[in-house]
Amino acid sequence: MNFKKLCTPLDHRISRRQWLGGVAGTTAGALGLCQPGLAQELRRRRKQVLFVWLEGGLSQLESWDPKPNTLFGGPFRAIPTTVPGIHISELWPRTAQQMRHLAVIRSLHTQDNNHSSGVGRIQRGDPANRGVTYPYFGSAVANLLGPGESGLPPYIWVKPGSGGFVTSDAGFLGPRYGALALGGGRAPENLLRADSVSEEDDRERLALRQLADRRYVQQRRTQGTEANSYVYDMAAQLQRHAHLFNSTTLPARDLERYGPSEFGRHMLLGRRLLEAGVTFVKVDSHGWDTHGDNFNGHSNAVPKIDQAFSAMMQDLADRSMLDNVLVVLMSEFGRTPRINGHIGRDHWAEGWSLVMAGSGIRRGVVVGRTNALGTFVEGDEHDIGHLFHTWFTALGINPSRTRYNNAGQPLPIAHEDMEPIRALLA
Amino acid sequence: MRIVISICGIWLFAQAGLAQESLHRQVDALILANAKGKTFSGSADDAEYLRRVYLDFAGRIPSATEARRFLDSKEVDRRTKLLDALLAGPEYAASMEGHFHVMLMERLGDHADWKKYLQRSFADNKPWDELVREILAAGPQEKAPGAAFFLSKRLENYGANPVDYPALTRDIGRLFLGKDFRCAQCHDHLTIKDYKQHDFQGLFVFVKNVSLSTAKTTTPGVTEKPTTAKIEFSSVFGGDKVQTGPRVPGLKEIAIPTLKKGEEYVEKPDVKQQKPGVLKFSTLAALSEQLPTPANQAFNRNIVNRLWFVLMGRGLVHPLDLDHGDNPPSHPEVLDLLAKEFVAHKYDIKWLVRELALTQTYQRSSQLPPLVKNAKPEEFRTALERRMSAEQLLRSMLQATGMTEVKAAKGVPTFDTMSPTFVKAFASEPREPEEEFSPTLKATLFLLNDKSVLSWLEAQPGNLLDRLGREIDNRKAVEELYLSVLTRLPGIDEAADAVRYLDERKGRRPVALRNLAWALFASTEFCVNH
Repeated sequence: MNFKKLCTPLDHRISRRQWLGGVAGTTAGALGLCQPGLAQELRRRRKQVLFVWLEGGLSQLESWDPKPNTLFGGPFRAIPTTVPGIHISELWPRTAQQMRHLAVIRSLHTQDNNHSSGVGRIQRGDPANRGVTYPYFGSAVANLLGPGESGLPPYIWVKPGSGGFVTSDAGFLGPRYGALALGGGRAPENLLRADSVSEEDDRERLALRQLADRRYVQQRRTQGTEANSYVYDMAAQLQRHAHLFNSTTLPARDLERYGPSEFGRHMLLGRRLLEAGVTFVKVDSHGWDTHGDNFNGHSNAVPKIDQAFSAMMQDLADRSMLDNVLVVLMSEFGRTPRINGHIGRDHWAEGWSLVMAGSGIRRGVVVGRTNALGTFVEGDEHDIGHLFHTWFTALGINPSRTRYNNAGQPLPIAHEDMEPIRALLA
Repeated sequence: MRIVISICGIWLFAQAGLAQESLHRQVDALILANAKGKTFSGSADDAEYLRRVYLDFAGRIPSATEARRFLDSKEVDRRTKLLDALLAGPEYAASMEGHFHVMLMERLGDHADWKKYLQRSFADNKPWDELVREILAAGPQEKAPGAAFFLSKRLENYGANPVDYPALTRDIGRLFLGKDFRCAQCHDHLTIKDYKQHDFQGLFVFVKNVSLSTAKTTTPGVTEKPTTAKIEFSSVFGGDKVQTGPRVPGLKEIAIPTLKKGEEYVEKPDVKQQKPGVLKFSTLAALSEQLPTPANQAFNRNIVNRLWFVLMGRGLVHPLDLDHGDNPPSHPEVLDLLAKEFVAHKYDIKWLVRELALTQTYQRSSQLPPLVKNAKPEEFRTALERRMSAEQLLRSMLQATGMTEVKAAKGVPTFDTMSPTFVKAFASEPREPEEEFSPTLKATLFLLNDKSVLSWLEAQPGNLLDRLGREIDNRKAVEELYLSVLTRLPGIDEAADAVRYLDERKGRRPVALRNLAWALFASTEFCVNH
């Protein structure tokens, strides 16, 4: 068996496709992925990720770990799901119907309960304090799995508000692994050809540009012109896929199923991107910060998520995509069991929950538990590092054997003192 | 015996000669000696030199008229004359402000007072040590408004994140000493034996009691609480606790005077009057007095290395902030010589950049020597292609498109109105040094489709496309286009291709001219300082 050959192709594919920018910068890439079986498997069945991010804190008591009729339980009931014995909050009736695909973890105890610093801490995982800025999960996956053959950037982020090229997500991996953010679900700025330039003019001006570069580079170093051609190729590829970013062409029937909310539309856009082969799709929902009026807050906000998320789960299952797509739905932290004077719940990192599904994840299970009042975890606690281990493993990446190469400095991709949560893995 | 004497005589003569030799000649001799017989690129032709020197010292490419004037000149000393004219010219200060703003702020932020402060400093040719003294002392506001921005921008906090004092400490080390003490915050650097935790911590003491002032001033200012004790630290790998007071790496620790509580001020702060008070012992004052001094070798090496980078495209020490024993300069003698002479000339920036621009090294072509496929950048045998800043690109595009000549009541783009757009499209993310040509998808989509830039390529009275449209002779139009955009005349093949392209599109000449112009703006040749 020719091991040498099997050890390298992914690395090459990643370095050829330097997506978002900064082509000439320092090179950081994946050192590992050297298990021959894995490389073949990845090529055969490409792994993808759908990461649904509720910015702020979703209350575990109003979602995956309800404690009805207890001191801190709040007004909502728990309802049964399609998996006997698993109950979730009544705010999620549609997701309850999808429980057979889902895994719930109720034993999270993370470190940071602060906004802004919390987002980075959770999405970066921060496995090692080596004086470098770790990449967000999306950039990490973009780097480790690459863009595949879709011709699309590996990390696309559908979010409310403004969009752009968010290179800061990539940390030390460098700008090319940043996110292409579709603000308000809109196409990236300047993607579409201006009306004043006809298709013919566009072809001609690009050909003239190439000719100019060919002449200029004669007897010069080639790095500059190569980097420039590269981004022009990327721009052309993205323009060929412009239809994907047009949310006015989303199927009406599906729009109805995903719900009339912005989040529903964004999730449907996310499905289209996954179907087109984008490696990592992140969909954001904002405003999860119910320090006051927690219960009305959740009963207003959750149904939008419930409807779109359950429709997405149904669609991924129907399309046999759950075998390859890892799905995570989470927020920065949970919310305090204690109900404050404003009928709100504050930030709580000490005992909270989230759901995941799909590639490599067991289906229809609950892992971990909190005590009767829901205040703290009973038994093993799990930190963000355990989750990163679990997710990487679920994607077929060995987190203890794979290293980033930060310009020569090998860095672990996940906490060296932690392990995957085996009970979550299929 | 006589032979020995005569050899000594030649040697002495050579030494004496060298001592009187101008700096640029000495630098070239050292670069040449270091190459050990490898071939060098020839001198850049007049057009390439012209474009380069304009970009460096006027912050833009020359106009077609300026280009013609220089290219038609037959004067033997035309290059030096042009250089001196630019150094004395009205755009020198703004171009230097551009270089130093990008270098020192690394796109963390921008402030009109800060830019004004830098421009005034370069217009007055303020010595580098004085400039740094003002920046590190945060002014004072009355004397040097705007200088505080370097510190105050770094003392802001974002959301719930606390002020990043370690980052400020690192930036002072990186930008003024050429040393990145990043990993030495928590332990002695593992791979760089010169960088000690003691260095980081000593530098940290200078800034740890400094914070953003709440006083309402046009430039955000800084204020300082008394420093009364040393700090204690130990390595995260274990070991004894160690103490340090304020200390510039490589220099002696400064003793913290013992002052009774309540007696730390000469003038106590007055919150109501918004007066920050005057400390008896200010660490910022101590830093600004100790760091920028001739005795501080790291300070001297850093600035000459950075100016070398600005004009040559790569530091002698590279990366710019990793000056240490195991990362020697490509040309140690050149770095030493520049540092020594810069100090001897009292940190005269204009003198040093002039000397650097007079070197053959600066004036070499970016075309490789015949038969050479690639020359290592650190050999400086061939001019390096340098990244153009967002500001240089904007000024150059306004110049080349002739939008500077368009007279209209409103809607005419100016540097000030378009600057934020160009910075957004072409600048790096904060703290990501803009050291290499590094095209991005964002910038490419901007050039392809941004409506404002495309409109500059529509004929408007007085602009480039208007001039080209009125020139009936395609050959002349192509020459005007090349000279305006690329600061050179087209080659024979280029002219022939472009003329044929236009001849074949008689029915739609305006858009054909626009396509041709756009292609030159989007070419690598336009987008780099070569």
